[in-house]
Amino acid sequence: MALRAAKWGWSRAGWQRLLVLLLWLGHGIWVSLGPAPGRHWTRLADTLSRPSQGLASRWAQWRTSRREAARTFEETRAENARLGTELSQLRTQAAQEAPRLAEADEAVRLLGLKRQIPLDLKAARVVFSTRPAAFGGLILDRGRDLDLVPDQGVLVPEGIVGRLWSVGPTQAKVLPADAPNASVAVMLMRSRATGVLQGLGSGRAMIRYISNQEVVQVGEAVLTSGLDRVFPRGLLVGYVAEVAPGDLELRVLVNLSAPLDRISTVLLLPSQPPLEVQAPFVAPEQKPSRKRGTP
Amino acid sequence: MRILAPSAIRQNLLCAAALGLVFLSAPFPRLQIVIHVLLVLALAPRAGSPLSGALWAGAAGWALEGSLRLYPHLGGTAWADMTLTLLAGWMAGRWPLEGVKSWLARLAGLLVAHTLLVHLAVRLASGPHAWGFGWLWSLLSLPVWGWAVWRLMYTGPSPRLG
Repeated sequence: MALRAAKWGWSRAGWQRLLVLLLWLGHGIWVSLGPAPGRHWTRLADTLSRPSQGLASRWAQWRTSRREAARTFEETRAENARLGTELSQLRTQAAQEAPRLAEADEAVRLLGLKRQIPLDLKAARVVFSTRPAAFGGLILDRGRDLDLVPDQGVLVPEGIVGRLWSVGPTQAKVLPADAPNASVAVMLMRSRATGVLQGLGSGRAMIRYISNQEVVQVGEAVLTSGLDRVFPRGLLVGYVAEVAPGDLELRVLVNLSAPLDRISTVLLLPSQPPLEVQAPFVAPEQKPSRKRGTP
Repeated sequence: MRILAPSAIRQNLLCAAALGLVFLSAPFPRLQIVIHVLLVLALAPRAGSPLSGALWAGAAGWALEGSLRLYPHLGGTAWADMTLTLLAGWMAGRWPLEGVKSWLARLAGLLVAHTLLVHLAVRLASGPHAWGFGWLWSLLSLPVWGWAVWRLMYTGPSPRLG
């Protein structure tokens, strides 16, 4: 086979080679574009238009957010005004219903106490308090119309209050346990030592006739002993606040547990109750705090 | 012994006949791929005339892919066919034929390269696809069609060969 070396240039062979080259390159480019060749142009156009699209998107987003913010501000103001009105109405309503709610709560607590004590208890409402005055007391709204007699014990769920001092036709006066002329037969919970509680005023009282030989701890619960036949044994009176040795007896100061200044409803024990009834509340003794891990 | 190149008319006539067979054998893919390989690797290459060979090879590739109707983006087979035809034509000029054995060996090598390049180009053009066994049929039948082409183009009756 005789081969003739074709020279490059604008000869016939050169044109043929150029056509071959273009044909081959064209096919190669077409193949390299792959399926859906238009996607390259689409991608290029997307890339080129990305900055303008970003700007347009931010502009539209800013306008939308501004419009939403304005609308939201107006709506928020209207809702705020409406909620303010509603809140004031609710506050007024709550203030109006607060006494009734407190009384209802107190009644529920008294009802619970009444179910726990197996005695015929009567309920009365405190209509007036003269405690700040000397020898003052509490005025109840019931008297002989409820068959009340003097020296009936008065108590609340927190503890004893005192005893009836005088009874009128429709009212009765309570002598609080912290009155200077009040006395209650009590005993100490741990030592079971008995004594007489005498009032000191302001919710405090002092136990008399506790021997110096007794061991009394601060925080110890003080219960009724039942010896005065006004309260049965075991009702909570208060807690020992201070103990000091005296010449003949211990000086034991007691904080009464009943909130005498905040009582609205009380329970009245029957006259001459039995000495022993099931104690409704034996208060847990206030133990001094111990370090963890010690026996 | 140097083997002379066949006349361009005979070669083009044979190429046209093979291209027609590619279209006609479309219902029989195994036969079609053999005829396609025959046209691209054995008939179309011609030393010193790359344009006609590239055109025949491109036509064979487009005809095959167009009749297969399998690929979403055509052209991969045509590009591979053109590449291998140009390579075969260059080899024919660079290393002239000296016998049927070297002819068959050259065809076998080109067939392997053609198979790989076709799959690469089709993968680039239209994505992943099944390999199929056309290459195996072509390789197994290579002695037959290789010898036939040898007889028709290089050692058969010819005014130039006498």
